[in-house]
Amino acid sequence: MRPHRHIASVILMLAVGVAHAGSVTVYSALESDEIATYLDAAKKALPDIDIHVLRLSSGDLAARLLAESQRPRNDVIWGMAVTDMLDPRIAALLAPVHGTHIDSMPAAFRDRDARWFAPTGFLAALCVNREALADQGLPMPRSWNDLASPAYRGQIAMPDPSSSGTGYMLISSLSDAGRDPAGMALTLGIARNVGQVTLSGSAPCKLARIGEFPIGISFAFSAMQAIRQGYPVTMVIPEGVKGYELEASALMKQAARNEDARRFLDWTASPEAAALYRGYKEIVAAPGSVPSAEQQREGLPADLVATLPVRDFDMAARERAALIARYKRLTR
Amino acid sequence: MTSARAPALWLLVLPALGLALFFLHPLATVLWRSVTDAQGAFTAGNYLRLFDDPGLPRAALRSLAIGIATTACCVPLGLALAMALHRSRLPGKAFIRGALLLPMLAPSLVLGLGLVCLLGRNGLVHRLTGATTDIYGFWGLLIANTLYGLPQVVIIVSAALARTPARHYDAAASMGATPWRQFLDVTLPRLRFALLAAAFLVFTETLTDFGSAVVVGGNYRVLAMEIYSEVVGQLDFGMGATLGVVLLAPALLSVWLARIARRRQDSGDAMPGRMLLPAKHAWRDAALGALSLVALLPMVAVVATVAYVSVVKLWPYDRTLTLANYTSGMPDGYGPVATSLGMSFLAACAGSVLVFALAAGLRRAPRGVARPMQFLASLPAAVPGMVLGLGYVLAFDRGVLSGWFYGGIAIVAFCSLYHYHAQAFLAMQTGMRQVPDALDDAVAVCGGGTGHVLRDAVMPFVAPAAISTFFYLFMRSMVTLSGVIFLVTPDLGLASVTVMRLDENGFLAQAAAYAMCVVLAGALALGAMRLILHVLKERRHVA
Repeated sequence: MRPHRHIASVILMLAVGVAHAGSVTVYSALESDEIATYLDAAKKALPDIDIHVLRLSSGDLAARLLAESQRPRNDVIWGMAVTDMLDPRIAALLAPVHGTHIDSMPAAFRDRDARWFAPTGFLAALCVNREALADQGLPMPRSWNDLASPAYRGQIAMPDPSSSGTGYMLISSLSDAGRDPAGMALTLGIARNVGQVTLSGSAPCKLARIGEFPIGISFAFSAMQAIRQGYPVTMVIPEGVKGYELEASALMKQAARNEDARRFLDWTASPEAAALYRGYKEIVAAPGSVPSAEQQREGLPADLVATLPVRDFDMAARERAALIARYKRLTR
Repeated sequence: MTSARAPALWLLVLPALGLALFFLHPLATVLWRSVTDAQGAFTAGNYLRLFDDPGLPRAALRSLAIGIATTACCVPLGLALAMALHRSRLPGKAFIRGALLLPMLAPSLVLGLGLVCLLGRNGLVHRLTGATTDIYGFWGLLIANTLYGLPQVVIIVSAALARTPARHYDAAASMGATPWRQFLDVTLPRLRFALLAAAFLVFTETLTDFGSAVVVGGNYRVLAMEIYSEVVGQLDFGMGATLGVVLLAPALLSVWLARIARRRQDSGDAMPGRMLLPAKHAWRDAALGALSLVALLPMVAVVATVAYVSVVKLWPYDRTLTLANYTSGMPDGYGPVATSLGMSFLAACAGSVLVFALAAGLRRAPRGVARPMQFLASLPAAVPGMVLGLGYVLAFDRGVLSGWFYGGIAIVAFCSLYHYHAQAFLAMQTGMRQVPDALDDAVAVCGGGTGHVLRDAVMPFVAPAAISTFFYLFMRSMVTLSGVIFLVTPDLGLASVTVMRLDENGFLAQAAAYAMCVVLAGALALGAMRLILHVLKERRHVA
C-alpha cells in the first residue's frame, strides 16, 4: 500500500542523505500548468537530473520555508515573489548562485550579490467584466484615479495586502512604499470602494470572470488567461504607476555544493526557458523578448519591460510590516 | 466490587500518548512562539500588540457574533434532522442521510464556490429570477458555516437518539402525556449532553474556520482571517500563535461538558428492552419534514450547483454541456485521489480505535483524570487547522521522530485525525453514554474482565456511534486542507490540495470537476465499506 512506500522512501532518503546526487527538490510558487510545460523541457535539457517540484502559493511557500528553516528540505526556490524572498529570515537561507545564463541576465533582474535572479515577473492589471460593468451602467475604468471614484463603490474586488503579494505590491507601488502622501490617499480611496477583499492576488480576477464583481484588481497573467478562456473580460493596465513584482529563483545554502541544483537554476535563466515563459508571462527578463502577438492583442504594451520603473525590492521587503500596519489602521 | 467498577485506566494510555505526541507537542511548539521573540527570548510583546491593532477587537466581536448565530441556527435544525431520522415515520430517510453526507464529502472549495455560483451577485438565482442577490458578508458567512456545522450536530444528536428503548415513551403515553410533552420530558433530558457537545463544537469550529470566511466574508473580517494574514501574509508566526491562543479560550467551555459527562442520570437504561418504533403522528412528521427540507435544500443545491459548473463549458456565460473538464487540463492527474483515500483510511482506522479507547477509559475514570482528559480531547476543535499544521512542521521537522514521519503519509493522517479529534471523540462519548450501567455490572459479575465488558456490554450499544465516527474521520480526512498544506511534499500529492491548486491557478471548471471526483470517490469508498460491514454482520449472525 502507498503509506508503506512513502515511509520506505523517506527512510531511504535519510540513508542516502537528503540531497543525493542527480536529484533536485524544488519549491515553487509558479502555477501548476506552466510548471508542467517548463519541466518537460527541463527534463529534456537535463536528462540526468531527477527534478521534484512542490507547488505552493507564494504566501504558503514563504511560511513553509520559514517553518523548515532549521532544516530546509528543498535545494532550490523557483519563481517566488522577490519581496517575499527578501524577508531577512528567508534571505538568510540563500547561497549566491552563478552560471553562464544567470550571469548574463539584465542587471535589473538579478541581485548584485547573486542571491537571487528573476527571469520573469508580473504586472498589476485590472480584470474588467464588460457584461457586469454594463449591468451596473458604469464606465470602463482607465486609471488608478478612476478606481477611487465613488461611482465604483462596492464594485471592486481586491487582494488583501496583508495576505497577498499582489496586494502589497499594489499599495507599495502606488504610495512609493508609503512615502508619497498623494499615493497613500489614492490607495485609501480605492480601498473604500472594495466590495470583497481576497486572500490571493488572482482571486479578484476570478470573481470578475464569473461576473460577481465588475472589476478585479489582479495581475496581467490572470487577465490574459481569462480572455483566452473566453470570458467577457477586458484587461486594463491602469494609467499611472506601473505596479510589478519579480518572480525570483535562488539556491538554498545547504545545497550550495549541489551542482545539479545549480545547473537546473542556470537552465531556468536560459534563452530556451525564456521562450517558454513567453507563453505565460507578461514580464520576461531575457533581452529582446517582446510580448507575443496574442499578448499584445490582449492589451499588453510592446515596450513593457523598458517602461517599468525602478523598484527597490530590498526596501519594499524591509518596509512591509510597517506599511501594512499603517494601511490597516487607515482602512479599518 | 469487581473489575468493571474499577476504572479501566490502561485504556487511556495509548490515546493519551497520541494526544500528547501528535496534538499537545506540536501545539505547544507553535504557541511557544507567542511568548518568545525572533531571538528566542521571552516577551509579552505579541499580547500587547493585540490591543494596539484597531482591527482585532472588532474582528473578535464579529467572530463571536457569527459563532453565536451559527450555533443558534445549527443546533435546532440539527435536532430537527436527528428527530426526523430517529423519531419520525418520514419516508426517504436515506435521502436525508445522503444529503447530510454531501458537505462532509465535499472539499472546502465546494461550499464557498457553490454559494457564490448559486447566491452570488451573478449567481444562478440572480440569473434565473432577476432578483438582486448578494451573499458577501454576515449572511453569507452564516449560511456557509451552518451548512458546514449541521451534519456534525446531526451525528452527535443521533448518537444519543439511537437505541432508545420504548419503555419511557410507553409509560409517558399511558399517563396521558401528549407527544410534545413526551418530547420535552423524555427526549430532551436525554439529549442534554449531546446538545451541549454539539453547540460547543459548532461554536468553536466557526471561530477557527476561515475556509468560508475567505470566500463569502466580504468586508466582514473575522479572527480566523487575521490569523491567516499574520502567518501566511506577514510571516509573523508569533502573532499568528497569539491569535491562536485567543481562539483557545472558548475551549474552556468544554469543562462544562466534562461536568455533565459525569452525571449519570441521563445514561442508558438498565433494561434496554424493546426498541422504540415511532408512533404514527402526521403533524409531527409534517413539521419535521418541512424543517428537514429547509435545512437540506441549500446543502443539495450548493453541491448540485458545483456539479453543474463542472459540466458546462464556461460558467456562467456558455452553459453548453461538456465532459471535457474531467479529462483535460489537470497536470496532477487523478493519482492524488488514491493517495487521499489511503491516507483517510489510515486516519479513520487509527482514529476510531484511539477515540473508542479514550471514551471507554473515561467512563469510570476518577475526576482528576477525567476532567483534564476531556478538556484535552475537545481542545482540537478550538485550534485552527493552519496553527496545527504549522505546529507539525515546527515539531517534527527535526529530532528523532523526523526521520520516521516527515514527508510521509502517516504524519498527514495524524494531522487530519487530531484536527478532527474533538468531533470524533464527542460523538463516541455520546454513544458511550447509551450503555446501561447495569449491563457492565452484569457482565462483570459473571466474571468478565474489561475486555469482556467492552465486547459484550459496551460495543453493542456504541456500534452505531463508532461506525459513524469512523466514517466521519474518513470523510474529513479526504477533504482536509488547512493543516496538511504545510505537510505535502513533491512526491505526496493530496486530492484536496489538487482542487485548491486548480482553483488557485484559475481553472474553475476543472477545480469543480476534480472536487466532484473527490465527492464521488469518497461516496464510493463509503458505500463499499458499508457493504463490507453489512456482510460481516450477516456472517456473525449466521455463525
